[in-house]
Amino acid sequence: MNLFLAAAFSFAVTLIPMAGSAAEAPQPNVDQPAVSDLDLPYVYTDWKQYTVEDGLPNDHIFAIDVDGPWVWIGTEDGLARLDKRTGEIRSWREKDGLPWRVVSAIAADPDTGEVWLGMFGGGLARFSGGRFDHFHQLNSGLVNDVVYGVCIENENIWAATTAGASRYNTRTGEWTIYTEKNAPMEEIWNYGCSYADGKVYLGVWGSGVLEFDVATEHWKDYLDPDGEMEIDLYRDDGIVHVITTGVSYVDKTLWITTYFGASRYDGRHWRGYFEKDSGSPSDFHNAVKARSANEAWFSTDKGLAQVADFPTDTWVVYTTDHASHTGQAVISRGDRVLETRTIPPNIPHNYVLWTAIDGDDLWVGTSKGLAHAKGTGYFPGLRRGADQAETQKPEKQETNRGGS
Amino acid sequence: MRNSRSRAVVLTGLAYLLAMAWSVPSAAQPKEPVYVGVRVCSECHSGPGAGHQYSLWRLSSHAKALATLSMPESKEIARLSGSPEAPHTARVCLGCHATAADAEEWERDETFLIEDGVQCETCHGPGSEYMDEAVMRDRELAMERGLRMASPQTCMICHGPKGSHEAVLSTEPYVVETALETIAHPRPVSPPIETSAQGSAAGALRGSSNRRGAGVRGCAACHSGPEMGFQVSRWRMGPHARAYAVLATPAALEMARRSGVDGDPQVSYACLRCHATGAGHDASSFEAGFDSRDGVQCESCHGAGADYSAEAVMLDRPAAKAAGLQEPGPEVCASCHDQGHAGSPFDYEAAVAKIAHPKVPITVGATEPVYKTPINLALSPDGSELWVACESSSTTVVIDTSTHELLAEIEVGGQPHDVTFHPDGRRAYVTNRLDDTLSVIDVEAREVVATIDVGDEPHGVLLDSSGELIYVLNGAQDSVSQIDSATLEETKRLTTSRVPWSLALSPDGEKIFVTNTLSGFVAPRTTPMSEVTVIDTRRGVVEDRFTIPAANLLQGIAWHPSGEFAMITLNRTKNLVPMTRLLQGWTITNGIGLVWNDGRVDQVLLDQPGIAFPDAADAIITSDGRLALVTSSGSDRVAVVDLGKLLALLDAASPEERERVIPNHLAKSTEFVETFVKTGRSPRGITITADDKTAYVANALDDTVTVIDLERFEAVEEIDLGGPELISQTRWGEQLFHSADITFRRQFSCHSCHPDGHVDGITYDIEPDGIGTDPVDNRTLRGIFDTAPFKWTGLNPSLQRQCGPRLAVFFTRIEPFDPEELEALELYITTIPRPPNRYRDLGAPLTEAQRLGKAVYQRTHTNGGRPIPPEGRCINCHPGPLFTDRQQHNVGTQTPLDLEDTFDTPHLTNIYDSAPYLHDGTAFSLEEIWTRFNTYDQHGVTNDLTKDQLNHLIEYLKTL
Repeated sequence: MNLFLAAAFSFAVTLIPMAGSAAEAPQPNVDQPAVSDLDLPYVYTDWKQYTVEDGLPNDHIFAIDVDGPWVWIGTEDGLARLDKRTGEIRSWREKDGLPWRVVSAIAADPDTGEVWLGMFGGGLARFSGGRFDHFHQLNSGLVNDVVYGVCIENENIWAATTAGASRYNTRTGEWTIYTEKNAPMEEIWNYGCSYADGKVYLGVWGSGVLEFDVATEHWKDYLDPDGEMEIDLYRDDGIVHVITTGVSYVDKTLWITTYFGASRYDGRHWRGYFEKDSGSPSDFHNAVKARSANEAWFSTDKGLAQVADFPTDTWVVYTTDHASHTGQAVISRGDRVLETRTIPPNIPHNYVLWTAIDGDDLWVGTSKGLAHAKGTGYFPGLRRGADQAETQKPEKQETNRGGS
Repeated sequence: MRNSRSRAVVLTGLAYLLAMAWSVPSAAQPKEPVYVGVRVCSECHSGPGAGHQYSLWRLSSHAKALATLSMPESKEIARLSGSPEAPHTARVCLGCHATAADAEEWERDETFLIEDGVQCETCHGPGSEYMDEAVMRDRELAMERGLRMASPQTCMICHGPKGSHEAVLSTEPYVVETALETIAHPRPVSPPIETSAQGSAAGALRGSSNRRGAGVRGCAACHSGPEMGFQVSRWRMGPHARAYAVLATPAALEMARRSGVDGDPQVSYACLRCHATGAGHDASSFEAGFDSRDGVQCESCHGAGADYSAEAVMLDRPAAKAAGLQEPGPEVCASCHDQGHAGSPFDYEAAVAKIAHPKVPITVGATEPVYKTPINLALSPDGSELWVACESSSTTVVIDTSTHELLAEIEVGGQPHDVTFHPDGRRAYVTNRLDDTLSVIDVEAREVVATIDVGDEPHGVLLDSSGELIYVLNGAQDSVSQIDSATLEETKRLTTSRVPWSLALSPDGEKIFVTNTLSGFVAPRTTPMSEVTVIDTRRGVVEDRFTIPAANLLQGIAWHPSGEFAMITLNRTKNLVPMTRLLQGWTITNGIGLVWNDGRVDQVLLDQPGIAFPDAADAIITSDGRLALVTSSGSDRVAVVDLGKLLALLDAASPEERERVIPNHLAKSTEFVETFVKTGRSPRGITITADDKTAYVANALDDTVTVIDLERFEAVEEIDLGGPELISQTRWGEQLFHSADITFRRQFSCHSCHPDGHVDGITYDIEPDGIGTDPVDNRTLRGIFDTAPFKWTGLNPSLQRQCGPRLAVFFTRIEPFDPEELEALELYITTIPRPPNRYRDLGAPLTEAQRLGKAVYQRTHTNGGRPIPPEGRCINCHPGPLFTDRQQHNVGTQTPLDLEDTFDTPHLTNIYDSAPYLHDGTAFSLEEIWTRFNTYDQHGVTNDLTKDQLNHLIEYLKTL
């Protein structure tokens, strides 16, 4: 793993114990509709794993995006394209024209068929019709070659880099750089990028989330009201921490991950999520991808976590026990475990780096391969008496999952 | 004086300041000087105490520099400068004929008048920061505030030899020392004691006027420009405009004394009465803009105009008369000229003729005959009509295919390139590469019903099989626009390779193949690698990109009806060995490629022993798949290819032969070319009737369409498109440029390396000084006439030198052009138009990034405050309007392959469309010039620039 990435991860890991020492936070202030323990979310049980043995160029999966029949996969040593129709995987390494070995971000443009690649130390690349066009610090206006996130905004490509954000206008060729000089960017280490509804959201390591209004070109920042403390003094008063790792804006709702918890913002209300008082298995989040205002998927260091139904605070957490070759899906409501289902092995490793939503399906990137979850019969939200066949009731329904 | 600025300027400036404060460290905040205009300078620099500096300027050519752009000669000069615009609106002309012509509005104080031509601030810099008297009295402080003292080099930026001007004007060669003496305006060391002239203050003599004067500036609001016959410009160039200033001359002083006027004639009513409109009246008699120093103005003859100058009044002649408009007659002139100083009787008729200024619209444009220059053509879906896109006439000509009569000629945009039809035949579409537009034509009505913007320099155009989507190739933007044919909205833009040229829809309608005429960027000392871009029409995405190795100038394309392959035209340029290898047939070979569906490519040459097939331009295949026709614009022929024989030849060859032998074999085409058919001059586009019986060929340079009988393989008719019969010298030059007759065995033409008069994007090894020695990037011919010297070494002082014996020695290897041919060729090259800048219209506001980039371009200090020596500043070696000092400099780019370390300074106009950069083409982007090839700050001091500053600089460069 590249030194930069390793350093970033290590730094975050060292801070985790600090998060654990945080004071007890107030209970979530969420209106709970009448719901019974029989109202359960959909649980993915049909999983398939892909590793180097299946043709992936590398098992460290940093990024995934889906465009029609293609699943684009960025790894630590190459780009892969999985054909959903055949399961066939084609890959590109540097010897095949890939400009840089580490593909850390992917944004496929369904409109043009172009795939934009963020490369960790290698800048930005456009993959189109089998040709890589390489944009980097020396041959273009890209601000920095360490690219963590890429997103497509109209005719512009945004790159979240370690030294600011770059916006590339594909028609005029103009590069615009956003740093502390012209944006409320207290730190310039940009991690994630998301575009929807005329707004670009940047997750910035140390500077929270920045919102860029495309029409007005105005910035708005979302910072932790508690400052840079690794605790959340007042619940649901804003983003839980400024060390932001991911953003996902769907249905006018912003989902945010940090190395110290996660947040949701609907434009009026904030909601914070911590391991200690939610279904989340960890406060260490690598990324988030939302399916809707009520459903988001968190890539954590302890499994794949889903807010399955926001109004009822219902979670599902997927992990795999490699010793027993079994998988688990833990269904919680708040910090109360409703069920623990034994399911087939799901994610190939519990250190999850990326999740991509593909209709009813999911694609999950981990530190040891890729997983595909088929969403046959998927339904959003909850259903009374949803499939109980594989349910394994926990001994104590009221167990507070604490920090583990 | 700053108080006189308009509020808008102040607000703009404040906004700019705020922007700068946000984006630039405070230490690097640039000043924002604005141009105040000569009239502000004149407040201190007039009168005998100041050596009459203002009047000396007013009597100089500089004062009427802008007005001269109204002259017919200027039109011709603009044409020879490659400007498609009228001189009074062309940036390249205005750059030297007016101060601050290209400045943003906020950069000009409301006191500034562009009509004053070349003013003080052209040489001395914008004056707002140093104009205060207290500052000006401290030269060092004034210099700190931006005052510049012009050097001879400053003059040479505009007065250096310019072929366009020398060709039209019979002026003496410019000698800077003499010129500096001519415009010398010293301030007296011991200013004379100013004495009141006889009659003293003029204003006291007659009091206020019944009617108020508006001044010539008021008249100029309506009486300028070509549609009004450039009336104000004509006045400006006449003696009346200088009448006041002339009173400052020693001759006037002497004349005044002889007439009994003591003191300064410029304050003597006796003199001013006839030398300045409104003399003797007090300030209340004039509108705010009135300036008596404008001499004898419109109102001396037409009466004080404040009451009639409103447009509505002027359009009502009786009302205007009632409001004071006078019809001047002999008595008006006689009131001054009968008492004049000429010594001879005043000839009224002659004088009126001399200052005649009829309100007759002046056609702004070339006086050159308007040719047609048909480039591409298309048959209507029912085959009844042939439509021809004519580049020079900006028209599309419609021909009846049964009678071959011209049915119509439809005006479209500038430089139409390609034409196609909607499948239903009701609409036709024409790309206009000069205007960056697509003309949508109602076929039945024969009129343009819509003109829509597309990308830069659109070339090929076609519709998908459903007719729902239009695909337009944006040649200068490396992209293809997909447009909804119903709404005419652009739905998406896809990336091609470099300079997409033509496109063709597969027989099943599922694919479009696109030819790209320039190779992609390749490493030094490697062969061109070109691309055919494959578009999936179902998804509207680029599905694949087929590499065409060692080939470039991919242009024409046609699908075989089987759908198994498409045929493209191509060149195989051997740019890595000296061009003198031409004698061995090893410089540019010409042929076709078969691009198979799976991406395989077979290349074959159409050259044959003794005679090449230069500039293969277009191809078409008969509907039975038996024959292919290929045009050679450099040899005026169409090759008839027997595809059965060609495919058999390929089938019989080994993979090794197909890859390495056949693409380079100079005799293989004898085995599959049935015959060559002679056409008119420079055949380009070709099409075939649905019954495979007739082919039509657009002959670009004799304005005809050749009709070929495909049963006899004979040209049976030439349809005259109605171009001028006269072949002008320029047209002749154009024909020479596109003909390969000048090269050994007709291997290539000038056009082969300069398609569209532009570049082929290749770095060449030219001279026989060793393999690979002295590589040179090809440079555009657009608008180069005034950028001499030529060649990267700057050794060729003229185009004639460049294109004469040198061309023969190093390129063509046969008898050079004779002097007449050379003159014609030069004339044509000078007229190759440079498209208007696509990133900024003249005088348009800069974007914030461009504005910040301009500050970098003009900066004198590093970010750390260290002074940058003049030779390290961008603007020093790249001053406008051509953005070259036309000198040679060592910018640290010499490589072991280069024999010299200094190179000609290229102009920067439209620099965005001529990548790669540097003398050897090693910088693939503007960024790389400084990120990779300026290690020691020799190519400008740039290493202290932050990444965003470099981006800003590049955004500004794109506006030049």
